[in-house]
Amino acid sequence: MALAHAHSPTQRRLNRQAAKPGRTIRIRIKRCDGPGKPSRWEHFDVKVERGANVISCLQQIAAHPVTADGKATTPVVWDAICLEEICGACTMLINGRVRQSCSCLIDEYAPNHGDSITLEPMSKFPVVRDLWVDRSRAFEALKRIKAWIPIDGTYHLGPGPREPARPQLTRYTLSTCMTCACCLEACPQYTIEHDESKWDASFIGAHAISQVRLFNSHQTGKQLAPDRLDILTGLGGIASCGNAQNCVKVCPKDIPLTESIGAIGRAATLHALAKWFSGPS
Amino acid sequence: MSAPAGPLHKHDFLLRRLHSLSGLLPIGVFLIAHLTTNSTILWGAANLRAGDNPFQRRVATFQEEVSFLNSMPGLLLIEVTLWLSILFHAVLGVYYIRTGRGNAAHYPYRDNWRYTLQRLTGYFSILFIFYHIATLRWGWSFLVPGGAQWSHHYASSTLAQALQGSADGYTAAGLAISIFYFVGVSCVVFHFANGLWTAAITWGLTVSQPAQKRWGYVCTGLGLALMGMAWASVIGFATLDPAAARRVENRLLGETDPEPGDGRAAELDQQAGPPFKEGG
Repeated sequence: MALAHAHSPTQRRLNRQAAKPGRTIRIRIKRCDGPGKPSRWEHFDVKVERGANVISCLQQIAAHPVTADGKATTPVVWDAICLEEICGACTMLINGRVRQSCSCLIDEYAPNHGDSITLEPMSKFPVVRDLWVDRSRAFEALKRIKAWIPIDGTYHLGPGPREPARPQLTRYTLSTCMTCACCLEACPQYTIEHDESKWDASFIGAHAISQVRLFNSHQTGKQLAPDRLDILTGLGGIASCGNAQNCVKVCPKDIPLTESIGAIGRAATLHALAKWFSGPS
Repeated sequence: MSAPAGPLHKHDFLLRRLHSLSGLLPIGVFLIAHLTTNSTILWGAANLRAGDNPFQRRVATFQEEVSFLNSMPGLLLIEVTLWLSILFHAVLGVYYIRTGRGNAAHYPYRDNWRYTLQRLTGYFSILFIFYHIATLRWGWSFLVPGGAQWSHHYASSTLAQALQGSADGYTAAGLAISIFYFVGVSCVVFHFANGLWTAAITWGLTVSQPAQKRWGYVCTGLGLALMGMAWASVIGFATLDPAAARRVENRLLGETDPEPGDGRAAELDQQAGPPFKEGG
């Protein structure tokens, strides 16, 4: 049987098979006109065909911005770039849970005529407008942990060390992170912080911890390992993790975030001990 | 780019790791020992050298444990260390809990429920442990229904009295205290077993998901064993007849007293709080 509000993959597959073409569904959207402005709910009825996704419904609403009760309104604003779940820009709350809206098929979520879908902006980042949020804090975190490989110099540094094959396999998965912020939105330890000056003292998040693992296991990247671990053993670093493990469950790229947290937890323990007994490296 | 100053922030990582460590050592280790001791009130029946019948053996074994602990050198130092550790763990714990906001209603995964439960059981454990130590160790008998004062010479009978509300058995307030104890010990054991599981990730002992799963089985096993001991302790004392236990204890005191009738037992009786009715 086709059921709206399904969360299990099995039920979603059943929904996809049972979805009725040409049905009308209701989309409930939490709207906001700009930073600091109050939020309101607006409902839209949208006629959907097989294979429609949340973005195509939002495009229909933009082309004809009239609410379900016939009132003309402004087009709903959302952020999107790639439309193939590799950029992370269209991340939002769909039926209360975080995911990308481009890969969210209406057939899976609202298979019957009259079913509804709820769209909200992410709650851990400041809203720019409607479903569009400002994820700057997540990118600032990547700058703090130096999520790059240092290859710039005043002279030619020559070829880097040879990369063993096995760590490359681990790193490939870690490298698929797109900073979409699903892990941050679902994390009970990551709370919204409007004051930019407090970002450095607030929890850095699973994505950054996993990126430290990525770059610290690279032969050239590990030159900056002590710097990165200094950040993660500081305020708002890995010790702020509460092990709720929501991050790994909502990650659209199946990145083993909790394994990264365990691995960096070990590195942080050793780093802190080394520092305590022998001074800064 | 201004990081908040202050030692709490400057040494955040160290304090968080000490918070984790204090839950394992000394608190966790003490919890295991404490539950082992207290559950003798049930499994003491199997301690065949302690008495003629199972009831006698239960009371005598527990009494022997209590007397042994009371004879430990530096007991006060051990106790104060434990109290300070619990205080440290509790104060920082509450502070850390307040940095997060549970969302198990939106993301009802089992791990996420455990995150929320860890915090709820933490709060309840603070309440329970404070009441437990204040009434039974510091002698704040005004908090005990019936006003029973715990005596380490009459360990079983006075504890049963404190749990049941009177020397003659249950009162309504006594029943509430017994239920409070049952919930309290359950919270403490869950908090420890789950904390042991997360501590392994925190310190980097378990990294891969299969390793975390395996360690989860170990923590579940230990948690179930401790839960069994905790429940055995509460059920053991909640169902113990205080008057009958008192008779066994009187006999034990008579046996160990070098000069029976020198008034020591009477003196101890006085310390033990309201007098007991004999018989029943």
